[in-house]
Amino acid sequence: MSFWFWHGLSNGVRSTGYPRVPESAPGVTPGRPVATEFSSAERSSLAAADCPVDAIVPRGASALVDLRSCVYCQRCRFGGAYPLQWTQDHEWTTVAAGRENYVPLPRSYRRSLHIMVVDAGDCGACLHEVKHLNNPFYNAHRLGIFFTATPRSADVLLVVGPVSENMRVPLLKTYEAMPTPKRIVAVGACAITGGVFGRGFMSAGGVSSVLPVDLEIPGDPPPPLAILHGLLAVTGRKALAPRQPDFGRTA
Amino acid sequence: MTASTWIEGTLALFFILSGCGFILSATIRDKYSVQIIAYISALCSSLMMFASAVTLATGRSFEATLWNLQGLGLLQVRLDMLSATFLFAAGLVYLPASFFVRNFLRQRFGGRYPARRYGALHFALMASVVLILIANDTVLFLISWECMSILCYLLVNYEQDPRTDTRAGFILLAMSEAGFLAVVIAFLIIGRAASDWSFPALAAAASQLSNQAAWGVFLLGFLGFGVKAGLVPVNFWLPRCYTAAPSIFVPVLAGVTFNLGFYGIVRLNVALASSLGFGPGLFALLTGGVTALVGILYATTDNDMKTMLAHSSIENAGIIVAGIGASLVFRASGYAVPAAIALTAALYHMVNHSVYKTLLFQGVGDIEAVTGTREMDRLGGLAHFFPALSVVFLVGCLSISAVPPFNGFVSEWLTLQSLLRSAVLFSPGVKILFALCGASLALTAALAVTCFVKVYAMSFLGLKRGSWHPNVRRNVGRFQFPAAYLAVACFLLGVLPTFVIPMLNRAVEPLVGSSVSASLVPQFFTATPSNAQLPVPFLAEFHNLGAQVGQRVLPGRGLVVLHRGAPENPVVFAMSPSYSLVALALLLFFTWLIVTRSTRKRTLTRNELWAGGIPRLLPEMFYTATGFSNPVRVVFQAIFRPNIVEDTRETVAVHFRTAILRRRDETHLVDRLFFHPVGDAITWIARLLAGMHHGRLNAYIAYTVVFLLVILLLFRLS
Amino acid sequence: MSVVGSPLVPPERIDLDGLVAAIQERFSAVVSLSRADKGVLLSLHLKDPESLPPLSLFLYWEIGCSFGGLIVEEHSHAWQLRYLFLASGSGWIDIVLELPLGGRSVPSITAAVHAADWHEREAEDLFGLQFENHPRLGDFILHDQIWPEGAAPHRKPQRKSVDVHQTQLRRRPNPNWRPLLVVQDPGSFAMPVGPVYEGGIGESLHFILETVGEDVLRAAPRLFYKFRGVEKIAEGTRVSHALLLSERFAAKSSFAHSLAFSSAIEKICDVEVPPRAARLRVILAELERLRHHAGAITGICESTALSVAASQAAIIEEELLRASCHFTGHRYLFGLNKPGGLRRDFNSDGFRDLLNAVGRAVDELRILENRLHFTSSFLDRLEDVGVVDPNKARDLNLLGPVGRASGRCHDLRRECSYGGYGDYQFEVPRENEGDGYARLRVLFAEAAQSAKLIRQAVDSLQPGPISVPCEATHSGAALGWVEAPIGAALHWVRLDSSGLVERYRAITPSFNNWLGFHVAVEDFAFQDFPIILATFALSAAECDR
Repeated sequence: MSFWFWHGLSNGVRSTGYPRVPESAPGVTPGRPVATEFSSAERSSLAAADCPVDAIVPRGASALVDLRSCVYCQRCRFGGAYPLQWTQDHEWTTVAAGRENYVPLPRSYRRSLHIMVVDAGDCGACLHEVKHLNNPFYNAHRLGIFFTATPRSADVLLVVGPVSENMRVPLLKTYEAMPTPKRIVAVGACAITGGVFGRGFMSAGGVSSVLPVDLEIPGDPPPPLAILHGLLAVTGRKALAPRQPDFGRTA
Repeated sequence: MTASTWIEGTLALFFILSGCGFILSATIRDKYSVQIIAYISALCSSLMMFASAVTLATGRSFEATLWNLQGLGLLQVRLDMLSATFLFAAGLVYLPASFFVRNFLRQRFGGRYPARRYGALHFALMASVVLILIANDTVLFLISWECMSILCYLLVNYEQDPRTDTRAGFILLAMSEAGFLAVVIAFLIIGRAASDWSFPALAAAASQLSNQAAWGVFLLGFLGFGVKAGLVPVNFWLPRCYTAAPSIFVPVLAGVTFNLGFYGIVRLNVALASSLGFGPGLFALLTGGVTALVGILYATTDNDMKTMLAHSSIENAGIIVAGIGASLVFRASGYAVPAAIALTAALYHMVNHSVYKTLLFQGVGDIEAVTGTREMDRLGGLAHFFPALSVVFLVGCLSISAVPPFNGFVSEWLTLQSLLRSAVLFSPGVKILFALCGASLALTAALAVTCFVKVYAMSFLGLKRGSWHPNVRRNVGRFQFPAAYLAVACFLLGVLPTFVIPMLNRAVEPLVGSSVSASLVPQFFTATPSNAQLPVPFLAEFHNLGAQVGQRVLPGRGLVVLHRGAPENPVVFAMSPSYSLVALALLLFFTWLIVTRSTRKRTLTRNELWAGGIPRLLPEMFYTATGFSNPVRVVFQAIFRPNIVEDTRETVAVHFRTAILRRRDETHLVDRLFFHPVGDAITWIARLLAGMHHGRLNAYIAYTVVFLLVILLLFRLS
Repeated sequence: MSVVGSPLVPPERIDLDGLVAAIQERFSAVVSLSRADKGVLLSLHLKDPESLPPLSLFLYWEIGCSFGGLIVEEHSHAWQLRYLFLASGSGWIDIVLELPLGGRSVPSITAAVHAADWHEREAEDLFGLQFENHPRLGDFILHDQIWPEGAAPHRKPQRKSVDVHQTQLRRRPNPNWRPLLVVQDPGSFAMPVGPVYEGGIGESLHFILETVGEDVLRAAPRLFYKFRGVEKIAEGTRVSHALLLSERFAAKSSFAHSLAFSSAIEKICDVEVPPRAARLRVILAELERLRHHAGAITGICESTALSVAASQAAIIEEELLRASCHFTGHRYLFGLNKPGGLRRDFNSDGFRDLLNAVGRAVDELRILENRLHFTSSFLDRLEDVGVVDPNKARDLNLLGPVGRASGRCHDLRRECSYGGYGDYQFEVPRENEGDGYARLRVLFAEAAQSAKLIRQAVDSLQPGPISVPCEATHSGAALGWVEAPIGAALHWVRLDSSGLVERYRAITPSFNNWLGFHVAVEDFAFQDFPIILATFALSAAECDR
């Protein structure tokens, strides 16, 4: 049994230095598409036509990106005639679209944040990335972020998935069982806009049609560092990314 | 008027009143007889308490001679200190029991129950109990014991409800008679060597018995009285009988008649066993340890509240007898002080047990009256409907689990401490036995907590699990005098041990030869604290710690129970429930103050219970009593040896199951080891003898002739 | 229903001609055979529905085929039910039954083939078909506390009796809902677990554990809290959109599912992927399997609270995720497959980094396995716990690593080779005990085999095109299959005349294996439930779709 003790010690410290220092190890984030200037409006329209969920919005010669809808099919990255530019950052949490008067949680929550995770029908990727926040690389505990098993002691409700119909009532019950102050964070394209499932007979098309969402973390799935950025932003430890321009879409 | 006159008058008045009660309740109509039973019985019990209190307070016993029966000698009565202790305990329980009887008769039966007969039997039983306790002479003792047995049987089989098992009453009667027979033989053995049949004469003769005779008397007396006291292996009647007895009678059965077994053991065996050395004490100690453990194991795993309380009574009997046994061993080794402490602990536990067991049985009776069921698996949520009942029942549960500041704590603590004194004994074998019994009693105490946590939580807390409807019209939820009285008694006996111990000391001192109040309760309330055993500077330290607080206000010796062992083993043990209560109250008060001050700005919202988001939380999803005690069942499986029958019903294909029926059959350990083998042996003998009775006249004549020949031969040869 | 002898040894090759002869001998009156080529080798068209149960019994128990699943299609003129069976070594057989649209009752084959239980319940819930002699229809996917009876949301809109959208608006949870409780013991109670899983971060599943205190007597799963209706959403969409759906309903095996979908479309369009694409697909599929198994091992160590081992396994998984992201641009390998091949190619640096990462991962896994072997407190929680004996595994048709740990050694890469797997050397591990430790050993062994396959595939790569054009412009239907990390996955696609998806059916291995989960849990203690759940490593998202 003492083997495990030495084995763990011998493997050294693997934790990332984020948020103190930026993290740039290869593979830690898939990056995201950003607005790209093309030579003509026709090309930007052709680039936009590549996107199966209409997340690329042509405005003249530039193609803007609605990251909330992006499902990371990577068709605008490889194989298309007019690929978009992609960055390798991971801090892209924003305030939820349509949410006014958002305030972060008070300062006293900065080193002690308890999170309740509810899986409302997600594919497994977003949930798995959230679970990876507890692995030695990201180690959310060192930042004072804990995952609770019951909503009674939670400050933040983290929802993944497009809210399948069968999970609607349990999700509402979880929300009502949390004491104030509480914040809701929607993680992943499915939780924000419904993703590829959209709004249908079994999926509500995003958490905002069921609960008042505070923060949104786009991505499919967002890497653990993006989720960490979002959780740090809930208490104001990190600045949020600027809101996207309104592309005239509902929800 | 001297104390003697007071006592005589009180006793005479008692007998007159109980006689009047007997006649009145047998003749007057039910509507009024219920009230009569209650008030006359309450008056009688007050007289019992008064008489015994005067005796204990003044230290003067009362003697009288009643009649002279031809051939059997004088019938004498004597109210000495030991009898007074038991009489006080009986009176303490009979008082609330009288009102409980009245409430119960009015609530449950309201005119349809033949209260007449009940009243008559009730008074007769009361009178016979008092006669047993004050009898000073074998004949009176045995006659009143027999009356008490028969009255118990009549009361147990009182309801004649076709659903109850009348076999339980028969087993009670059979075992009572068997015990009685053993006791009679024991008395006869001593009586052969005595001049007459009075108890003092028997005590004098006891010291002259040969070793075998003394052992025979001890064993017969111990097991004979042990039947009534509920000791393994003769206690298999107890669970059956308590379950079958009507709820109106069980509190008296468990609170009063139960103690008579201990009275008999102390009267007969403690006086006797001084000539025999360690043996009797060790035997009593071991029996006590085993009884306690077996009792609590079955109590923890039983789901019927009355049966569970019956097993718990067996457990407490074990603790009391273990204390008595320890006392005998110490006395035989010459350590009078530990002997006194052990015997005091046993008597204290006897008093405490009467009080809280009566309280619990009354509570169970009320629960059954309002819900119609006693199964803990089917109860739940009663605190919501019956708040007052839940409070007093909680007090009872806390007392029996030995939680301070209630009375169970004091007596169990004293018992375990007295067992720890065994370090002074010489023989290592005896010390090992003490250690084993001590461990057994400690395990018992832990299991008792489990058991009563289960009882209270499963019956009163949570959601309603069964299909009964709470009959709120019965006034069980509101203030009830008997329950409140007993709860207050539990509290007072727990918080003021230093007043109770000197009272018990009067009974203990003549038996053991040493004063316990001198060694257990130092006089912190005098100007200079003193205690026969402790050096003054040592006591002065406690004085500085605050043991004298209350000196000016309170009577008595002090509020701290403190003992220091013999010089070769000067271990100190001390406790003070009184001061602990004050500290506890202060802590609770300050906590309440801090919490309310610091959360004043918070808002409280009440929401539905969080259950993981399931559609609906049903009562079937709550833990049952069986589930709670299942670990105990599994760990002690070797003792229980259950036979689990599982039957799965399927439909269409093996794949779909419609029902899984599970049944668990268990035979009680004592039944398995004693009752069934003995019963089988007796049946076998009877079958053999039945072979002789085939109805042929010629054979019977032959038997007579053979018998005559054998008798003549015997006379010839002797 | 008595069963004829059940073969427990790995199935030998089932000869197709012999099978045809045997069927024609016994069932010639009711069956007409036809050979097909869209993934299904042999179709048995049944004329009489009543002979369905005996034929299924014959195929499953006497011949020894394993059961694939049930595909229900609603055509304009009739229902078409397809029961898929695998003749190992040869290919897929299906029993095709056509029913008139008005009559909607079919004899149930559950009594013969227990593995068909959940398939029939799903058909009843989603299509309204009635299966005679199935005693547990209802309250399966459409939970009774929310949905009224007869909703049948997968039916064509013009024929639906209940308007689904309207019911969505009128829906209120039924206050009188009660679960079906089976144990009748006075002291038994039913402990609910979920759906919001109380163990921390977990998928939404709901179990009702009936118990008398220590042992679980009956575990009744109520899944489908994550049902999103993927099959219905895919109807009427373009193939490229349906491809997105196939990737994203179960992300941990997304590459495998998109591979099966793509191969179905390729069969419809009659194209064959170029060899380089086939090899790349093998590399990526095995990378996904390796990463999935590392995740499953992490889950097992976490459930037994062996923190250091769990952390080390999590490190291995995270490094594989990062290697996947560095290699392909996405941590979970989204967006790589398309019908006709792959969407992008990789350079030699990428392969070198990938091989390094895989080599490191395999070395670390070997060290972990050796050390776990000597940690007796860990093994105590796994050995002889959650046992599924081989008979039960055969009975319930368990697949994947779970089935292999109970002696049921089916692997589509061997039995029904696809994507060039026949060219590689690898072993399929097999254990017989069926307890948690056996499943753990199978996971470790398969991970090592995956690494071996990756190395072989990289070494045998030749330059060439990575895709061929594959545009669907005509109607057709085909079956695509893959050995996903959890087991065998089948995707059935039917395209209409304009090339849009008309019917998409995904039969997932988690759906099959969840049926057998209760066997492992019953008669073990409560505290073992999370551990057994972790050793099964099933995915609710994959089951629920």
